[in-house]
Amino acid sequence: MLISKKIEFAASHICRSAQLSDAENERVYGAAANPLGHGHNYVVEVAIEGEPDRVTGMILDLKQLKDILEERVMDVYDHRLLNREVTPFDKVVPTVENIAIDIWNRIEGHIPGARLYSVRVHETNELCVEYRGEK
Amino acid sequence: MTVRLTRKYGFAASHRLHSPALSDEENRRTYGKCDNPHGHGHNYEVELTVAGVVDAVTGRAANLEALDALARRVILEPFHHRNLNEEVAAFRTEVPTTENLTVEVERRVRAGWTEEIGARLEKIRIRETDRNICELSV
Repeated sequence: MLISKKIEFAASHICRSAQLSDAENERVYGAAANPLGHGHNYVVEVAIEGEPDRVTGMILDLKQLKDILEERVMDVYDHRLLNREVTPFDKVVPTVENIAIDIWNRIEGHIPGARLYSVRVHETNELCVEYRGEK
Repeated sequence: MTVRLTRKYGFAASHRLHSPALSDEENRRTYGKCDNPHGHGHNYEVELTVAGVVDAVTGRAANLEALDALARRVILEPFHHRNLNEEVAAFRTEVPTTENLTVEVERRVRAGWTEEIGARLEKIRIRETDRNICELSV
């Protein structure tokens, strides 16, 4: 059984790779390559897999999950310029794909008694990425 | 690392749900208000989900420009502000239910798929209204 928790943070980013030329960056990322940056309200859905406890009827204590997401995601990402203020985005481009992978890496192994199933990140209403930990 | 990326598109179109294989009474019973002979319309939302490996340099799992170009060519241009029954060949013979529309969109997207997109088509979802959504895994 899956249970999901949703959080929202606001952040800015610049989608440019130092390994690409200016022309290539413009072509790959379009308007998102603006060197001055731009921002989004990101919505993150974290799905946890487990069985409901016979006594509590819960897969896990959602308050505990909320605290983990506050500490490991919100405190790190909310109201930040991702390229400058959040590792690994000093090295990798903060695309929504890499954000989903990074959030997975930050919370995986820190949720007691249940397995992390997926991290979904909505960058806009039209674009969403899901990562399930595949290497 | 493989991720699933979902891109959403919208188009507005009209249709009428009516099968020539059914009697008028059966059509009314099956499709209700959607059988109105004058037709009616929806703001459709189409979600294309692709699975791709995140490129080490660009951080992208798919070429969104190429995916958007495909969606424009095979979905938006032929369907936006159209009467599906009259203007889309498949719906001259098939009833343009959300189910058949999803199958038709899948057929068009697969036929138009290009290497340039750089990812694999995994799922198509069409939202006809907030309460009526059809999903097809490819």
